[in-house]
Amino acid sequence: MKNKRNFIRMRHHVLLLASALFVFTGCDEKPEEEVIPGSVLMEFNLTWNGDDCAIGDVQNDHLDHPLRIDNLQMYIAPVEMRNDRGEWVEIQDVALLDFGVHGQKITAAAEIGIYDGLRFGMGLPPEINTDIDPASYANDHPLSVPGSAGMFWTWASGYVFVKYEGKFAETTGSQLLEPLSYHCGTDESYRSVTFDFEEAIAVESQEVQAFSLSFNAAAALTGPDDSVDIVQDPVTHNAQGTILGARLMDLMDDAWTLNPL
Amino acid sequence: MGICYSHITLGLLLVICLTGCERCNPDPCDPPCETLATPYTLEIPPFFPPMDIPADNPLTEEGIELGRLLFWEKSLSADGSMSCGSCHLPSAGFAEPNVYSTGITGAQGTRNAMAIVNLGWASSYFWDGRATSLEEQILEPVSHPDEMALPWDEAVQRLQEMPTEANDIDYPSRFEHAFETSVVSAELVTKAIAQFLRTMISADSKFDQWRRGETSLTDMEFAGYEMFLREGGDPEITPGGQFGGDCFHCHSEAGLQFSDYLFRNNGLDSAFTSDPGLAGVTGNTLDSGRFKTPTLRNVALTAPYMHDGRFQTLEGVIDHYNSGGLPSSTVDPFMKYNSGGLMLNDVQKERLIAFMHTLTDTAFISDPRFQDPH
Repeated sequence: MKNKRNFIRMRHHVLLLASALFVFTGCDEKPEEEVIPGSVLMEFNLTWNGDDCAIGDVQNDHLDHPLRIDNLQMYIAPVEMRNDRGEWVEIQDVALLDFGVHGQKITAAAEIGIYDGLRFGMGLPPEINTDIDPASYANDHPLSVPGSAGMFWTWASGYVFVKYEGKFAETTGSQLLEPLSYHCGTDESYRSVTFDFEEAIAVESQEVQAFSLSFNAAAALTGPDDSVDIVQDPVTHNAQGTILGARLMDLMDDAWTLNPL
Repeated sequence: MGICYSHITLGLLLVICLTGCERCNPDPCDPPCETLATPYTLEIPPFFPPMDIPADNPLTEEGIELGRLLFWEKSLSADGSMSCGSCHLPSAGFAEPNVYSTGITGAQGTRNAMAIVNLGWASSYFWDGRATSLEEQILEPVSHPDEMALPWDEAVQRLQEMPTEANDIDYPSRFEHAFETSVVSAELVTKAIAQFLRTMISADSKFDQWRRGETSLTDMEFAGYEMFLREGGDPEITPGGQFGGDCFHCHSEAGLQFSDYLFRNNGLDSAFTSDPGLAGVTGNTLDSGRFKTPTLRNVALTAPYMHDGRFQTLEGVIDHYNSGGLPSSTVDPFMKYNSGGLMLNDVQKERLIAFMHTLTDTAFISDPRFQDPH
């Protein structure tokens, strides 16, 4: 009799234990142990020959023409970092930079590891420039119809890679009435910007690595090997394969600075 | 005692099992539970982008039908003479055929009422973009003293008290079916009208049919389409110029919207004291004279043109761009020919206009679902 009672009590305890195990392990939605990546925060700033500037500021270009930049937008794709095995790892597929937004930032997840370089495409690689209908993207994607408002040419010519727009005058003191309209694009205009970090950076789980990049809008018009006279050449739409658009993209390729970490 | 204790513990564990694991049993109302109204599935036409519908105002059969009733409801004006539809006539592509609309007091507006078409894809409303949602836009005309001039509390009261001898629509019951409350509010009125407007989709013009491979464009129409897509300007003067119409930059064909919904100063004036446009909203002088790019859909029906209705014909509009417009410190860079214009000849203009007529959607303007139900 006593044995039987012990047996029943033991059976209940086993049942209790099984139930407890079910409670604490039975929910199969419990995530598997996973490595949580770190992230990279990139801030993009606009400068004019090293000085901070903003959309709407009036500057003098290399030929002393007063110029006001009213709009500067640019696609970058993809953004990659080089790991300690020398491999380029994508951290962001595509982003639309709008320098009308002060201190604009991109935050991207990055695998844990050591990185010693950064590169990004200026413009869009051919596979996403013309082959995909903007309407096929979700509306919050930078290549979607609303996301690319003002940055889409046609299905044949694809997206505008860079819009550099403003007003200028030929002489200082004059009203800025002459429109400047540089719209660069097409697969041939796609450029790559690469930086080596002065010191390798470590991306750690759940940690944020931050750095900033500056775009010198003055250097988009003049550089060591070429210069553009905005009075002579105020407009380009190199969807039609003009040389000016390609020259501007080459200049802009060298207009970036990676600021010390 | 031991057995009893075990039973209680077992019971508790069972309760925990069934209720305690949040991830196993997510809150059925997070995201919010749908109403009991009949969900309406919006059909997105080919080549159109997805439509973002506010989570707090999903489309329902009952909400859309209520919105249609309210859109055409003259009781929403102070003297019962005007509805939203009074300034958005189907025959005019749901736009205002007069330069300015005349409100119930006889006062006139200061801008031409825009066409109602494909509004679910727009990112802002009014010529100056001062409303960022359809619901917000709808709030304005009812109480505006120069339009329907009915304070919202009175509008709500009128609807709440219906049916009456003069109006047999049982609005409280309609609201009950659409929103599960018979208590009328301005918020629910705007939500219902917004639902209705989101269904007003034009996607069956000749151009749409051609794009879907269902019909052909005439040589003239196709040549006009090519003009539409070509850069303007003499290539000798303008790098990349193609002697085109240069329309596609602003009236983008992406998603077949024929507008990028951005704001531009297209060179109509050189000073903006009478109407600053977007600058009146942002306070930024760089926005002076900038107005929203309207869609070209049904453009042949929606005269007069521009924010102030200054052009009565499409020919007048093209002549403006052909002239290059007026220079100013905020004129859009796309108006880059303000010293010479597009330089289109008569044949080219004719082609461009032929193309614009292919954007007329007669099925849309005569669609019985959008007409006055009263």
